[in-house]
Amino acid sequence: MTARTWPKTAAAGFALAALGASLVALPPAARAADTGVLKVAVGSEIANPNIWAVNSVSEWEAITMEYDLLMGFSPEDLTAAPGLAESCEPSNDNRTWTCTLREGMKWSDGEPITSADVAFSYQLVVDQGFGYFKTYIPKGTTFDTPDDLTLVWNTPEPSNAPMVPPWVYIVPEHVWGQYADLAKKDLRAVDVVPVVGSGPYVMTEAVDGQRWTFERNPNYWGTPPAYDSVEFVYFDNQQAMVQALRSGEVDVIDGVDAALLPALERESNITVQKVVPDCWNNMAFNFGGQGPDATPLPALQDVEVRKAIEMAIDKQAIVDKVYPNAAEPGETVVRPLATFWHLDIPDDQLIPYDPAAANTMLDDAGYARGPDGVRVDPATGEPLVIRMPTSNDTAGSEASGRLIAGFLKQVGITVKVQPVTAGKMYGLQQAGDFDAYIWYWCGDPDPNYQLSVFSSSQAGVDGDYHLSDGNWEDPTYDALYEKQRTILDPQERQKVVFEAQQYIYDQVPVIVLVYPNTIQAYRNDRVADLTPIPSPNGYITPNYSYLPFLDATPASTTSTGGSSGSDTGLPVWIWGVVALVVIGGFAFYFVRRRGAEDTEEG
Amino acid sequence: MSADATTPELAPSPRHFARRRRKDAFIRYWAIFRHSRQAMAGLVILVVISAVALVAPLIVNPEDLDPATAPGLPVEPPSSQWWLGTDNFGRPVLQLLLVGSRVSLIVGIAASIGAVFIGATIGMAAGYYGGTKIDKVLNALIDWFLVIPWLVLAIALAAILGPSLVVIIAVIAVTSWPLTARLVRAQTLSVRKRPYVERGRVLGASDLTIIRRHVLPNVFPVIFANTVLTVAIAILSETTLSILGLGDPNSISWGRIIEEAFSGGALVNGYWWWILPPGVCIVVVTLAFTMCGYALDEVFNPNLRKR
Amino acid sequence: MRIGSLSLSYVARKLGWAALTLFFVLTVNFFLFRVMPGDPVALLARSQRLTPEAVAEQKALYGLDQPMLQQFLTYLWQTLTGHLGSSLVSGQPVTRVIGGRVWPTVLLVGTGTTLAILVGVLAGIRAGWFRGTRFDRGSLYGSMLLYSTPEGWLGMLLLIVFAGSLAWFPSGGLSSGGETGLGSVTDVLSHLALPVATLALSYVGQFLIVMRSSMLDVKDEDFVTVGRAVGLPDRLVRRRLVVPNAILPSFTLIVLSFGFVLGGAIVIETVYSWPGIGQLTYRAIESQDYPVLQAVFLLTSAAVIVANLVADIAYGFLDPRIEEV
Repeated sequence: MTARTWPKTAAAGFALAALGASLVALPPAARAADTGVLKVAVGSEIANPNIWAVNSVSEWEAITMEYDLLMGFSPEDLTAAPGLAESCEPSNDNRTWTCTLREGMKWSDGEPITSADVAFSYQLVVDQGFGYFKTYIPKGTTFDTPDDLTLVWNTPEPSNAPMVPPWVYIVPEHVWGQYADLAKKDLRAVDVVPVVGSGPYVMTEAVDGQRWTFERNPNYWGTPPAYDSVEFVYFDNQQAMVQALRSGEVDVIDGVDAALLPALERESNITVQKVVPDCWNNMAFNFGGQGPDATPLPALQDVEVRKAIEMAIDKQAIVDKVYPNAAEPGETVVRPLATFWHLDIPDDQLIPYDPAAANTMLDDAGYARGPDGVRVDPATGEPLVIRMPTSNDTAGSEASGRLIAGFLKQVGITVKVQPVTAGKMYGLQQAGDFDAYIWYWCGDPDPNYQLSVFSSSQAGVDGDYHLSDGNWEDPTYDALYEKQRTILDPQERQKVVFEAQQYIYDQVPVIVLVYPNTIQAYRNDRVADLTPIPSPNGYITPNYSYLPFLDATPASTTSTGGSSGSDTGLPVWIWGVVALVVIGGFAFYFVRRRGAEDTEEG
Repeated sequence: MSADATTPELAPSPRHFARRRRKDAFIRYWAIFRHSRQAMAGLVILVVISAVALVAPLIVNPEDLDPATAPGLPVEPPSSQWWLGTDNFGRPVLQLLLVGSRVSLIVGIAASIGAVFIGATIGMAAGYYGGTKIDKVLNALIDWFLVIPWLVLAIALAAILGPSLVVIIAVIAVTSWPLTARLVRAQTLSVRKRPYVERGRVLGASDLTIIRRHVLPNVFPVIFANTVLTVAIAILSETTLSILGLGDPNSISWGRIIEEAFSGGALVNGYWWWILPPGVCIVVVTLAFTMCGYALDEVFNPNLRKR
Repeated sequence: MRIGSLSLSYVARKLGWAALTLFFVLTVNFFLFRVMPGDPVALLARSQRLTPEAVAEQKALYGLDQPMLQQFLTYLWQTLTGHLGSSLVSGQPVTRVIGGRVWPTVLLVGTGTTLAILVGVLAGIRAGWFRGTRFDRGSLYGSMLLYSTPEGWLGMLLLIVFAGSLAWFPSGGLSSGGETGLGSVTDVLSHLALPVATLALSYVGQFLIVMRSSMLDVKDEDFVTVGRAVGLPDRLVRRRLVVPNAILPSFTLIVLSFGFVLGGAIVIETVYSWPGIGQLTYRAIESQDYPVLQAVFLLTSAAVIVANLVADIAYGFLDPRIEEV
């Protein structure tokens, strides 16, 4: 390279680079709508497709597509509906249930599906103690398989366990039988792809950290689905996920934060599904007793103080600022998705947002303000300073925490927000090392699990892996909880469940801050008939069942199939230019000035 | 490149003479510095931003920054009322930027001083005892820290210790000292061989005295220029940690504003007023420190200057 | 005995040095992830909601009931024999978890680094040679500007402009899937474009600045002056005398940069959903997946150590003077 050819070489290099860039800059959006692949953007990885290692949302969605339940969830109200079994019938004393399987079902590898598979799956879950699943099977239950199509439950106590329904996926014994004796850790390490399942789609290819392909199961027992395959595409970055939906790289997105709602809602070819709240975010108080690190704030043991705090928090403002148009203010601990069990407290009986009244309550209770405006606990002489970790696996928890800090400042209480990872949060919760925290709960359609976490039996000491948020213990509540457990008649049980919810609402061991909607969305010009479960405001992804993807069809091809159609991109585009101009201008200023200087000098 | 910054002295000077000499040197350096347009531009920017950071608490109403009492509506675009619009809480972005300058500068400067303190101490010790066991051990330490993936280390530390300003400053300091140490060691090695240092040693001056009297003053310019350059690195590091969600949640920095805007959907929703300005602020301040740093390097290093 | 101009003892010394450094990294690794936060297994267990039996299992696995020295030796032995444990999140062997991430990271960071080096070094040579010209000023300030731009923020801007408004490139990931042959190559390339551009833009400045300044250094050396004095043409002076000598200081930086490739680019990989080591690291930190973190830390450091070793030995070949030091 000589002095003269140097610039040419460089120029050629740049030209090559530019050429390469323009070559690859072919519109990526030119994917036809009817390729037979349903592309789903997922916000979590399938780190391990093994069912026993299920941990993330997308892993859950994967196994829900691949396997069936003995009794599934009805799309109307999530009550028990036929799954692999057509029906389950109780004996008179409710101790023996007989379930009858459909005839002629096969696994994706062609082997027949029998009651032995069901019994094997349940027994495996019990023997291995898989946390997600084992709670559905009452202690001491045994299973009989008089013939290939009949499964008999024998429960020691009267039970309606098969009709909850038990959320335990049925796996093939001929695949898993050989591994049944492995340690849990080794069982989870078993390579499962291609998956043998009974659902409409089974995973055939996994590209770690990127894509997971589910091919149509040729032996699926129901009506075959319309798409040849379903593909999960992983996105780390939710904004990129929204972008991918807009440009047509994907057809469905399985969940984004509320903050991204405006970007989705302004596109006419995107339909947003705000899933009726399945979870709730809570501000939980610590009642102590977990161990040496448990240092609960004495003032928070006073129910008047907790009520005053609830009164001082503007839940509607949290919704408006943190979850705009994508949440409801929280009320009771059984979330609205469980329509039958959720207690909807009439507005006039809710604890109102009323900071003035909260101030009065705290004044009356003797918590006078110190010179710095922070109230002081008359019993201990300590200021009311609340250490409040927020868990980063709960969208909007930090922002909610900071809003709450602002609200409580108005009533003379200081809140120190401290965002932590979910793992750290778990440690703090176990050790009771917090005054209050913000985390979330998601539950089953059945309220038992959700109610159980407030019972004394779930309170505990550090190291025993207890579920209770802050070790709240109350005999009145325990009695209510135990009572609802034993009632088999739904109407009767509902009354007690309502009572239990009301009791928690009055005692405020936790403040239910918001019921956030899960935000899902799909391209209505590419895919149709994604039947929500529960309908009409439920999930359009396989969460409770694979129904949405079973029913999905490519949209009628009246659409132009055109790409992004970014009529909305204009302001964004403009500010991109602004950025370049600002930065470029800065550089040019110096280049020019120095250039002038050089000339002067020269 | 040799880096003889000052003319060799023939004998240790009395204290007042030394002071006068340093004052002369300062005036000489300043004259050179002032001549550089690049340096002056950087300096002016830094003075302006520092002034802003100092007066920010006086001109910004703290209630405007409290999410619960924010004056605006969520994500309002710029208007005559809010020149740079508002964030998701309805807090004016301009006010956030003004206050954010404080944390960004404090973290940048404190972390840089910390890093350079560690680096200079180790570098001087290694250089002064050049060739001995001490040098070998310290040099090994420098090498070792150079190969450790700093961002992973920083993230791990921040995640373990919990995000707070002190932790962030410490983490950045602990992970960015080795380059300084290397530079200072090289410079010390060259100073050590100068005749007056050798003579001092022969005359029985203690190591500490020699380091304080002769090494430090000669190495100081390098340290100073390096501190300024390291501030730029520290500010960028703070931004990186903040973007990854490891910033101090209870204080407002430019990096934190970017992170909040990012998770608030600023990109796809087109809230440019929220995510663009903090980035520009970081670029401008980092650039200013970089320009000043390079200029100082030239000032103190005649070899660079004569080009 | 000498290989070329290089003594074996020099190579042996460097090798020993690398081994020692590796040992240091292992030590840091051990203490960083095990000793610092109280009871590490409790932390692991809590984050994964393990049962008490599982905790006991973990403790036995790590031998945490043994004395510290014993633990450290066990850890060394396990690491050296390739037993890196299993991911706490997925339960799969760490080697497998990391294995799938290496190639995407090499593709992204390798390409980006190469591009940055090519452009940076070439432009640096030119800028240094033609000091004070518009090109010099422009590239120097441009470099400083890019150097001062937070890479994550730059990535976000590029993403929204080129993947969003213009929709020229896809918004993330490594490929769309379903493509074969040439189609899959262009598919990957189009996914690669934005993250590589971000990476190259962020890194190019340092190479340019270093190359430029070493050009300036060498330009004034005696042998260059002599070369000119004897009437060598300008371009020959540059090509034969200046550039070969000026590239030496950049050489170490270049080789080391390739060592850092394996560490991935945490921020850029996160912004662009790139399935590489950097993204894995970030996720592992979020979920406190310590076995994965330890392995990534080890792998990354080892790569840099090897690169360092290569640089040292190659440097010895290129510049025999080094042996005196």
